[in-house]
Amino acid sequence: MTDALTVADVRKVYGDREAVRGISFSVREGEIFGLIGPNGAGKSTTLRMISTLLRISSGTITVCGYDVATESDSVRSVISYLPEDAGAYKDLTGRQYLRFMAGFFADGEELEAMVDRAIGFADLGDRIDSKVDTYSKGMMRRLLIARAMMPSPKLAILDEVTSGLDVVNAYEIREIIRDIARHGVTVLLSSHNMSEVELLCERVAMIDGGRIVQMGTPEELKRRFDAPNLEEVFIRAVREAEGLV
Amino acid sequence: MNHLLNITKKELRELLTPSSVASVLVVVVLFAALGSMMSGQTESAMAPQKLLVVNNDSDDWAVSQIESVYGATYPDADLSEYITVVDGPLAGQDLVDRMVEVGAGSAIVIGEGFYSNVTSHRTGEMYATYIYSSGGLFGNLSSAIAGSIISSLNLALMTDQGWTEPAIDTGASATYINGDFASGVTPTEIDSAVSSQNMMVPLIIMIVIVMIGSIVISSMGNEKENKTLETLLTMPVKRTTIVTGKLLAAGITGLVFGAAYMVGMMMYTNGIMSGTVSGVNLADIGLTIDAFDWVLILIQMFLAILAALGICMIMGAFAKNYKSAQTLTLPISVLAMIPMFVIMFMGWNGLPLVLQAVLFIIPFTHPMMVMTNLMFGDMTLVYAGIAYLAVFTVAVILATVRLYKSDILITGISQNPYVVRMKAAFSGKKNAE
Repeated sequence: MTDALTVADVRKVYGDREAVRGISFSVREGEIFGLIGPNGAGKSTTLRMISTLLRISSGTITVCGYDVATESDSVRSVISYLPEDAGAYKDLTGRQYLRFMAGFFADGEELEAMVDRAIGFADLGDRIDSKVDTYSKGMMRRLLIARAMMPSPKLAILDEVTSGLDVVNAYEIREIIRDIARHGVTVLLSSHNMSEVELLCERVAMIDGGRIVQMGTPEELKRRFDAPNLEEVFIRAVREAEGLV
Repeated sequence: MNHLLNITKKELRELLTPSSVASVLVVVVLFAALGSMMSGQTESAMAPQKLLVVNNDSDDWAVSQIESVYGATYPDADLSEYITVVDGPLAGQDLVDRMVEVGAGSAIVIGEGFYSNVTSHRTGEMYATYIYSSGGLFGNLSSAIAGSIISSLNLALMTDQGWTEPAIDTGASATYINGDFASGVTPTEIDSAVSSQNMMVPLIIMIVIVMIGSIVISSMGNEKENKTLETLLTMPVKRTTIVTGKLLAAGITGLVFGAAYMVGMMMYTNGIMSGTVSGVNLADIGLTIDAFDWVLILIQMFLAILAALGICMIMGAFAKNYKSAQTLTLPISVLAMIPMFVIMFMGWNGLPLVLQAVLFIIPFTHPMMVMTNLMFGDMTLVYAGIAYLAVFTVAVILATVRLYKSDILITGISQNPYVVRMKAAFSGKKNAE
């Protein structure tokens, strides 16, 4: 199985401050890979560099064979990025929003088919024709995930995708992500919710202070640190990295 | 009481932010500067002005009367410094040349046999000649001295001799404008008519720029707040296309708004052109705007709107959210207000060179004064304005595209390497202290 994403010794520097300090990992095609860590660990910065939103200070990122720094247009044609707490254009209905976004990928019948597929995916019933500013947080997230999956990306990049959702909505979103991966889409997600990642991801990388402190499958990591859950693994991994253990 | 104090303090902290206080201070400074400039202009208009007196009469009685009225108007003025008396005949272009030579904005021409006529109960001829200068509301106030002296003399003669009809025939009075003489009108009357027509232009430009600017900056603030911008920037489309699309949409909106205002103004000015204001028919003295002129006006307007939008998109990039975007509209408002006030009240020609240079650099100045420049045939300023606006607009659009390709749009200015280094240097210095 080939890698959909390769991140090699990537740094992001703001002045004298290093937000990301030489991280490396790769994600296999069709895999659900999680970046976990506390707020400010560098997860979102990493996702934004992969999504071509931020420039890389050093190192290389390759998405489906395309270099993020030099082939950003090609990278954008194979990824779908969903930012944390993202919204949609408030004066549009859900259907209009999907049609607007689909316009970047297709036109004519292909566009209509793409929108119909996304509407089915969002599963918002009649509310798809309501203005998005009337949507609940859960409905908005379903619409945005449908938008992200609409062009059948090779790599879906989801930043804190269930953040702020209630239990039911978070569960449904996780099911959608599993379904996406079953259809061959590689998923890279970030979260500070360790138990969610444990439920969802095949492999995880733990980030703290801009560095990857541990990486592996949830089971491997729990075995390695003799911990009952990823939360415990993370605490011990950070202490180990800081030389406190 | 404690709760009230707590809530009030919290609200004040939110309302009196550094940017909101700065915006108020900028407006205060702006109005103070304008007041000072206006005061300077008013003082200069009220100061003694040079006057040329052309005496075609064999008697000097009229000259001494003129000097007497002038002396009463400006008691502290040295008459020999301000009044130049020459013997006639002197008329037409020669008269204008002589006025320019002595630095007089107006002249009084005393007709042949004036003294003998008025002392024999006949009307004497005395008329004023003015050189028009387009200098805003106060630009031609100073030249009113000639008309004012003739009116005073006429009144004095009528009173002395108990006449009910005018003692002085001023029928040959004229204003030299655009290389020609406009009979029977004074510069102040022309100013009044021109101002009635053109004063709307700076106002409309200012309104359109502030309105469109606010829309663009707020839209950027909204996009950032909703993170729709991040999503948009990861679509398979070039940043140049995104910038161009946003600029084009806002530019078209601005042009539609501007055109609507202009249509209203055209209807208003057509009404003025067909009639008269202050007894002056602008068309009769060659102050008209033709179809080609309107094209030039629209070109300047469109370029100025695009430039404004470019500036706003750059400003919008620094907006964190919708609320912070509101305060960012201030610079564009100030940039639009400064030329509006200066052009409206002082005009271009009456300004010192430094202020002219400052105004020329502000892109919104050009469409604000284009109508007046076209009327008075100042085509160099019109074409220079178009060229400057074109260069400025292209530069701003290129800067916008560059900004859209940078990290600032996502991280904001606070994460910019230069700003981070400056902050670090500043905090280091403070710590050292």
